[in-house]
Amino acid sequence: MTMTRRTFGLGASAVLAGPIAAPFIRGAGAAEPTIRIGMVNSMSGGLAAYAQEGQPAFEYIIKKINAEGGIKSKGGAKIELVLADDTSQPARTAAEARRLITEEKVQLLTGTILSAQMLALTPVVDEAKIPTLSVWAGGSQSNYMFTLGYPYDRGYAQTMHDFVISLRDDFKFPIKTAVMAYSNYEAGQQSNKFLVEKLKASGIQIIGEAALDIRAQDQTAAMVRIRSLKPDVVVGLVTPRDGILLHQARYNLNYHGSIFCGGTGGYSDLSLWKDLGPEIGKAVLTRNLFGMTGFSAGAKIESMQKIVTELRDVAKLDKIGQGAVQYAQAARVLQQVLENAKSLQSEALLDALKNVNIPAGDPNLYIAKPKGLQFAEDRLLKDGSAMFIQWTPEQDQQVVFPKEFAQVPPRPKS
Amino acid sequence: MREEFYKTLSSPIWWGTLAIAAIMPFVLSSYYVHILTLALVYVALASSWNIVGGMAGQISLAHSLFIGIGSMFSAALLLKLGINMWLGLVISAVISGILGAVIAWIDFRFQLGHLSFVLITLAFAEMGSIVVEGWDFLGGASGLLLPKDTGNFLAFQFGGGHGAFWMMLGLAAICVLVNVAILNSPLGYYLRTIRDNEKAAQAIGVNILRYKITAMVISAMLASVVGTAYVRYLTFADPYLLISPVITIEIVLFATVGGLGRAYGPALGALLLVPLGEILRGKLGSTLPGLHYFIYGIVVISVILVTPRGLLPLFERLWARWRGPAVAGKS
Repeated sequence: MTMTRRTFGLGASAVLAGPIAAPFIRGAGAAEPTIRIGMVNSMSGGLAAYAQEGQPAFEYIIKKINAEGGIKSKGGAKIELVLADDTSQPARTAAEARRLITEEKVQLLTGTILSAQMLALTPVVDEAKIPTLSVWAGGSQSNYMFTLGYPYDRGYAQTMHDFVISLRDDFKFPIKTAVMAYSNYEAGQQSNKFLVEKLKASGIQIIGEAALDIRAQDQTAAMVRIRSLKPDVVVGLVTPRDGILLHQARYNLNYHGSIFCGGTGGYSDLSLWKDLGPEIGKAVLTRNLFGMTGFSAGAKIESMQKIVTELRDVAKLDKIGQGAVQYAQAARVLQQVLENAKSLQSEALLDALKNVNIPAGDPNLYIAKPKGLQFAEDRLLKDGSAMFIQWTPEQDQQVVFPKEFAQVPPRPKS
Repeated sequence: MREEFYKTLSSPIWWGTLAIAAIMPFVLSSYYVHILTLALVYVALASSWNIVGGMAGQISLAHSLFIGIGSMFSAALLLKLGINMWLGLVISAVISGILGAVIAWIDFRFQLGHLSFVLITLAFAEMGSIVVEGWDFLGGASGLLLPKDTGNFLAFQFGGGHGAFWMMLGLAAICVLVNVAILNSPLGYYLRTIRDNEKAAQAIGVNILRYKITAMVISAMLASVVGTAYVRYLTFADPYLLISPVITIEIVLFATVGGLGRAYGPALGALLLVPLGEILRGKLGSTLPGLHYFIYGIVVISVILVTPRGLLPLFERLWARWRGPAVAGKS
């Protein structure tokens, strides 16, 4: 059969007509009573790495909860996930959330929800009064939005500050000057503001900035600037892509005059070795470099090591990094919310979210929180701290900070 | 011009369509109202771009700059200086108009070819994007969060979903009407002459600079006003959305698929493709990431293959065949 313009046009019209008619076609409702959780993830687009790693871990934990009898306080109700892809665009996060709330009738929302997406989502969750748990946002502007992400101030900035000061005071690294090298995007700019204030207050002189253009194909210019300023420490929040380009530039310029401290993905992501290659990785990652992270397989945290083993051996997940652990933690938080909520009404779920408490040592606490996991009044984690690691030539991580989880002291400057 | 324009204004089809559209918020859920609102945003934007891109044949990629000024600048004026958004709308529109005039002047002064014009306008858009992302006053890369929309009309608030829909419906209708008015006016004839043969137009005495500037200024100011309304609806002024060249690409796509240079073509393109994209993502986004993009792409390619001049000319041909001889639409 030959394809004419007419048949081609008819086919295209059919594809066009289906979705457009969708609002007027009512689907059959599910009969089984379940608790519906809407999950808006960035499964495609520029931020897809977060959810592609995290969603399988989240789904695994939810399946496990269901297999173990569901939500016991709700008569063993099973959790049903309704998934959506926001294509990494904040406006679409809001649109998909609206669909999940009005069309899919979900009772709770969760998902990647980085800070920009959180801001776009705010009017929607406020209007619908839907309790929402973001996996990664660095702030919250709605009474209904809670987040497991690191707060810019007491998360990213405080941890980086505390580590730099610990290097100076506890391990006697000669640190007097700093250059702020951060990815020039929303989270990078925000955490940098707080970090500059904190470092200055602790007596560190900020001698320059090297904002990394997130669209640049090369960070040599930034590294040349760093080399010309020759600070004692280079510090800031760096994305994995910018991190790779920065480390490549550092290798090409053979620069080792400063200590590089930063987070998170650009310094600590497991994929850095793959992207840089072993030769560059060994030359720059294992020398005068420390990375901030919320997860490290080597950390002295039994529950973290257990979940990593389980995700690898039972769930058979290929990629188990910070994203997977963070999403697994989100699933456990939501389980506690559903168990503790007096009902499945919005206000009851909100109260349960406010009162989440997973104490240190609990087998369901997967992330590194010496004081356990609770939300503060601002709906961000009370304990926003993270860890610092150093790389070994074998491509492993060793936790060096904080002392509660540290395996080894920081490697001296070389 | 007046006869055609007033014929449209007094048309029962026109007012009937608007009346049916206006009751949609009472019929559809807030999700579908959102999709329609978004479609109307793009109807307005694609129609405003059509004045330059469709009628004058100047493929401008600078429209994200005008949308960005309308959205980010008016939001910043409100949040940083306390300037009412109505006033912000006017200030932003004036700045956009001036910038539009400058771009049109550069085009004329340096006798830019089509490709050079595209690249120059893209460069303007990129510069705008870099300025916004690096300037704290405009929110930097973090963007700006507007106060909650409580429905205070004097503060440029429309009461959320339904109010925003009606506001965008009105704005989209105005943008389409401006297209109808220009297309049937001497300006419209001059612009089409410039588009079809600029040298011949100059030879017969068409003031190229004047009409190019006029088209660009109207187009830029409309895009800026839509930008202000759009950011009020979104509440969050996201620089990666509002001043990204991607938004211009979408506008060009909708106008092209609907029917470039036609008064209703860009509106038709946006009204079909925006809901299609949104609903495909909603239905398929969680099944296989990216599948909705793939199907969307196939549909767009199909339309362009079947009817290269856009859907509106195709519908006109089908209508003419069904009703007998009819007057073809102006383009």
